[in-house]
Amino acid sequence: MSEAATQIRVAISRGAFSLDVNLSWDARVAVIFGPSGSGKSTLLEAVLGLLPAGAARIRVGGSWLDDAERGLRLRPEARRLGWVPQHALLFPHLGVEGNLRFAAGRGADLSGDGTLARAIEALEIGDLLGRRAHELSGGERQRVAIARALASRPRALLLDEPLASLDLPLRARVLRHLLRMRDELEIPILWITHDPDEAQVAGEIAVVIERGRLVATGPPREVLWSRAVLPLSEALGLENSIDARVVSTSALECSVETPRGLRLVLPVALPIGERVCLSLRAHDVLLSADPPGRVSARNVLAARVDKIELAQGDASVTLDAGERLVARLTAGAVERLGLRPGSQVHALIKAQALRRIA
Amino acid sequence: MSGAEIAEITGLTLRVGAVATAAILLPGIATGLLLARRSFRGKALVQAVIALPMVLPPVAVGLALLLLLGRRGPLGPLWSALGVELVFTWWAAAIAAAAVGFPLLARACEQAFAAVDPGYERLARTLGLSPLQAFLRVTLPLARRGVIYGALLAFTRALGEFGATALVAGILPGRTETLALGIYARVQLGEDGGALALCAISFAIALAAMLIAESWLRPQGRSR
Repeated sequence: MSEAATQIRVAISRGAFSLDVNLSWDARVAVIFGPSGSGKSTLLEAVLGLLPAGAARIRVGGSWLDDAERGLRLRPEARRLGWVPQHALLFPHLGVEGNLRFAAGRGADLSGDGTLARAIEALEIGDLLGRRAHELSGGERQRVAIARALASRPRALLLDEPLASLDLPLRARVLRHLLRMRDELEIPILWITHDPDEAQVAGEIAVVIERGRLVATGPPREVLWSRAVLPLSEALGLENSIDARVVSTSALECSVETPRGLRLVLPVALPIGERVCLSLRAHDVLLSADPPGRVSARNVLAARVDKIELAQGDASVTLDAGERLVARLTAGAVERLGLRPGSQVHALIKAQALRRIA
Repeated sequence: MSGAEIAEITGLTLRVGAVATAAILLPGIATGLLLARRSFRGKALVQAVIALPMVLPPVAVGLALLLLLGRRGPLGPLWSALGVELVFTWWAAAIAAAAVGFPLLARACEQAFAAVDPGYERLARTLGLSPLQAFLRVTLPLARRGVIYGALLAFTRALGEFGATALVAGILPGRTETLALGIYARVQLGEDGGALALCAISFAIALAAMLIAESWLRPQGRSR
């Protein structure tokens, strides 16, 4: 068996906190998911080589950066990793262009079609080049920080909570930019987040960390909803997450379709072909045992109950409606409808309950 | 008192201040950086010792320097062997000025570097810069106001230095007579007019330096 392209084995203790994980994966885009204080940022600092040497063994995208046994330890400046820190950390004494040139080297070409020029275009920061760092909004700062990280032509991109410092309306915009960047790049990406919405749409694989230990790893939508991780991801605000593409549109609304053929109506007009990521609160999914009559909900989906989990008077009902959806009901409602695994139901979802996150 | 005499005293004072400030610039920056970025055992003691020349009576500092630089002190044989005579030269005045100015510079640098988020340096490292390059291209430019402010403070402190200088350099007209020493000597001789003229020059230089420092160099909180 060949070795996984990315392997991170780190053991560090700092007072009462210790981080001790042994991770490996082959996927290009990995999400490191966990609550704040779980050791995600420490893990990132270890990969960047910014922590005192420990018994680390780190390989990213096929290149070894640390191997204590072989005495290998690259200095931070030799690792060629593009780091986007949580608060952007744009150099305040340089303008936007200065920050980019700092990373790219003095003679860098900002127009042409090099990596940097493509990043400037994809992140739509061409108009910001003449500004000072402190004149930018939070979202602009984050986009410039991403472009700067890419300007150094890194072997991998490391994103530390790239959306955490932004308010909600901005998040969707920056997330769209990030997803576009992600798809355009070919280098590995490590994407740290404590936001379940973000975790579900960002990566091919999710690595869940809590209190400095690995909890689970696997495809994000499976892992975050798995029994071992659910209490944690629910505490962090886990909701249904849906990827889809716009298939038809009118002046008031549009229809989107998921990869597995689930169709939903959104209350906004969007161009056909546009990709959307939606978040749907499990509380906002209504279930009806009989076919509903004339209702205002724009989305009525035939679904089959897969699983019912009861906890303290609440019930989480996992449905197969083409895509997997979870509805949160009271235990009393489950009893009244006589729901059990295999039951056929209708799920009612108001168009307005579908929140676009990217 | 002749204009040539005033020019000579002013020139010597500026030279002493400039040489003293230039000599302590690098050590002051290095000390400030060390104190701002590293924690080590006995750091409080180091900080206290560095601050000493600022709070000791300057005459006491002068006496200590006289012992260190004089032919009869513990380093006397070294000075004899090298054939250098420091005491009662303008070099001694510069050394005295450097000794009292150093704590001001080092403390200003410490504060200036402490106000720079170390994240910037770390980020620069990940972009391929060595620690020294990261310091020169990121930390120093971000702390420059505080560093220049400290250098100006040390320079103006050097201009006014009296107690330590009088002891190690003496008041030798044309050789070690700075503005502060000159004023004192004129007053002793009853030449009030000359003393006032030198006072006016001191006042003008100090005011100019402080205006620069206060108006656009004073560090305004954390640089971000």
